[in-house]
Amino acid sequence: MSKYRVARMTLSGRVALVLFTAALVGICAMPWWASQGLIRDVVTLACYIAVAQMWNMLAGYGGVVSVGQQAFVGVAAYAMFVLAQTFGVNPFLAVFLSLLAPAILAVPIYGLLHRLEGAYFAIGTWVVAEALRLVATNMPMLNGGAGMSLRVMTQFSAHERAVASSLLAAALLLVTLGGSYLLLRSRYGIALTAMRDNPVAAASQGVDVGRLRLLIFIATAVGTGFAGAVYFMAQLRITPPSAFDANWANLAIFIVMVGGIGSLEGVIIGAVIYFFADRWFGEYGASYLIVLGLLTLVCALYFRGGIWGLWSKWVEAPWFPTRRRLIRLDGDKA
Amino acid sequence: MHWIDGIVQGVLLGGLYAQYALGMALMFGVMKIVNVTHGDLVVLLALIGISLANVAGLGPWAVLATLVPIGAALGWLLQRALLNRVVGNDPLPSLIATFGLSIALQNAMLVIWSADTRSLSGGGIQQASISLGPIFVGVLPLIVLICATLLTGGLDLTMRRTRFGRSLRAASADVEAAAMVGVNPRNVYAAATAIAVGILGFAATFQAMRSTVAPADGPFQLIFAFEAVIIGGLGSIWGAFAGAMILGISQAIGFRISPGFGILAGHLVFLAVLAIRPQGIFQRRA
Amino acid sequence: MTPLLSTHGLIAGYGDMRALHGIDLTVNSGETVALIGANGAGKSTLLRAIMGLLPVAPEMIRLDGQPVGGRAPHRMVREGLAIVPEGRRLFTGMSVEENLRVASEHAAKPVAEPWTLERVFALFPILREKARTPVENLSGGQQQMVSIGRGLLAQPRILLCDEISLGLAPKVVREIYAALPEITANGTALVLVEQDVGLAQRASHRLYCLLEGRVTLHGTSGEISRDAISAAYFGASHALD
Ligand SMILES: Nc1ncnc2c1ncn2[C@@H]1O[C@H](COP(=O)(O)OP(=O)(O)O)[C@@H](O)[C@H]1O
Ligand SMILES: [Mg+2]
Repeated sequence: MSKYRVARMTLSGRVALVLFTAALVGICAMPWWASQGLIRDVVTLACYIAVAQMWNMLAGYGGVVSVGQQAFVGVAAYAMFVLAQTFGVNPFLAVFLSLLAPAILAVPIYGLLHRLEGAYFAIGTWVVAEALRLVATNMPMLNGGAGMSLRVMTQFSAHERAVASSLLAAALLLVTLGGSYLLLRSRYGIALTAMRDNPVAAASQGVDVGRLRLLIFIATAVGTGFAGAVYFMAQLRITPPSAFDANWANLAIFIVMVGGIGSLEGVIIGAVIYFFADRWFGEYGASYLIVLGLLTLVCALYFRGGIWGLWSKWVEAPWFPTRRRLIRLDGDKA
Repeated sequence: MHWIDGIVQGVLLGGLYAQYALGMALMFGVMKIVNVTHGDLVVLLALIGISLANVAGLGPWAVLATLVPIGAALGWLLQRALLNRVVGNDPLPSLIATFGLSIALQNAMLVIWSADTRSLSGGGIQQASISLGPIFVGVLPLIVLICATLLTGGLDLTMRRTRFGRSLRAASADVEAAAMVGVNPRNVYAAATAIAVGILGFAATFQAMRSTVAPADGPFQLIFAFEAVIIGGLGSIWGAFAGAMILGISQAIGFRISPGFGILAGHLVFLAVLAIRPQGIFQRRA
Repeated sequence: MTPLLSTHGLIAGYGDMRALHGIDLTVNSGETVALIGANGAGKSTLLRAIMGLLPVAPEMIRLDGQPVGGRAPHRMVREGLAIVPEGRRLFTGMSVEENLRVASEHAAKPVAEPWTLERVFALFPILREKARTPVENLSGGQQQMVSIGRGLLAQPRILLCDEISLGLAPKVVREIYAALPEITANGTALVLVEQDVGLAQRASHRLYCLLEGRVTLHGTSGEISRDAISAAYFGASHALD
């Protein structure tokens, strides 16, 4: 008779954890070693990762497909601008306060849209994002279609702004990636994974699928909004078309589908690919986007696990191990 | 008078939206999938039509007569090559696949036709109007409305009275059971999508004649079609028609309140319907 | 003589789970074959596999000796198979007549004396009265009649019936079973999955008993003893009790 213990951590997981922590520390320290341009790039990449990971949690685990996540990007970003610019709240504090807006908005949105069947839910989220864009365009308080500038930021030195941007980028990654990881490892993670694999069976096992979906919708709205607030704080300017840009949904879907849905590793891979593709091929505009669209299509049809799915068929070395495994104490894997 | 005029214009606008919405209602009813390229196909067909008019010198009615079969062929191809692979209980694959295709299609159109807005010349019919009492009604919008009504009636009769319609309804009720009595689901699906996109041939011609089209317009047409379908009630053909009227009226009245409010008014009515009557206004069953 | 339908080491299942482990079964023209077995024995799976609803290898199913396994259900209909599925599976939102017409409009080429709407109505007169009623408003027995009628209008040479008596009042069951001779009169073969063993024995020429995906007994219905059936039905260990 062998003895067993339950283990989740793997060697690859430990290495990844060390690297992730080192990366966060490096990002926090950027003002002392990186150029302005690099900081800006890292902030942008962090925002892509965050928005994509939130979509991944929603669609990959929650089974809720949205194509209107830009609603939460825009709402949080606008809330931050209003708090900081109109009401004079400290902008860094405003980033966090602004997260109340997507949280509060997510409840009625889900309440209305969950009455629609699967695919129609997704299009419904798009309508909501469009409606919010039009509301922003028509609202005098938001300066309508002309948009707003974050002039209050001029009271800080360039270095102070760099410190803030770097800390916010690190916090964003910590909350969205780290938070998802912890959530997936918690008892909710088991329910979420069960729900991803088979919602009907999960419901019969006592998982309150409806409630869990609402909670995940709210949580991902907040995470997405966080990315929006950070992104537009770095931009210093916001207009309704940029805040509620459908490209936020496009990039999230591309990143997750190409990287690999239902995994954190896939999101990081996908985001890095998207970031560099955008950087190198963005100048080709339309033809580049044709390729992105077709890649998304091909992944949805033929490679449901994306790059990470293909990779993990060959090598079993998760960076973020969430699965429990039995380990025989005399050494062999069970 | 102002408001009555608004309602009349809204109904006329609804005629165009009904032509967007019919195909979507049909496809969702049968396959439970949403084709995200729905609006892009309207734009694609319209741009093809405009090019045909310019290059081959076709008049608007000849363009219409060409676009409907082209649309049907495109729909058939789309179903055979792509959608048949993703029909199923999980909404994610069909949604993501057509979402990716939509981005590719929009940008391909951008490469071919550039971002310019274009329109189709109707040979004077665009300016013609008749007066109904004190209200002036454009002849073209009236033709669009009549066409939409005939299409809706025709589709409804096809669904109720023909062999094809019955096999379609059987497949939408229980596709496996339909296969057990000899219906080939792939054929039924391909025919449904062919009809849906064929109808978009009408929508494309009239859209290009009534206003303009540009490669990035597709998402708006998708959303209007979607709103009409939901307002009217899922899967019901006349419901989609009525939903399109309500959407058109909401937008026209919103536009009269404030020009920036028109489209938004449509979205708000859609959300209100979801809140108050999620099964749609004309759906009896919950 | 080549049997009308035969299966050869038929293996089928759901995903990784195998539910049938090599079934050999034959059905001859005009014959009624009963299929009995406990819940979960694999009776429905067998009918579904024969009908083309589950993936199987071509040689596992033969019609007139020709391999037809793995064809899509609508092609099996064209070969002369029809099924009255478990749970009836009617087309909701459509009337009785429309349900029947879908079947007759996609039917196989009839061999002799084709089934018509008129004949189905003669077999089950209540359906004529309810012709325009949406099927969801019918009683369970009436729904079962529609489902049988739908199967017949596919003009089958073999009709597979999955628990047609399930959940029905005894009087209705008798009414439905009384209709079966009329169905087999023109040579149509019947495969009856039936929970009521006595009824299955009386209504069939031959009988197969399934247990956990295997045939544990088969023979002429009138000649099989009660004990043999209960041994095959529950497995050998139970028969010792
Ligand atoms: N759709 C399905 N998915 C997975 N397993 C199934 C499914 N249908 C039946 N089974 C399993 O296959 C086995 C045989 O079931 P079935 O053929 O329905 O038995 P019967 O009709 O004899 O009661 C059972 O173990 C059952 O749990
Ligand atoms: Mg059964």
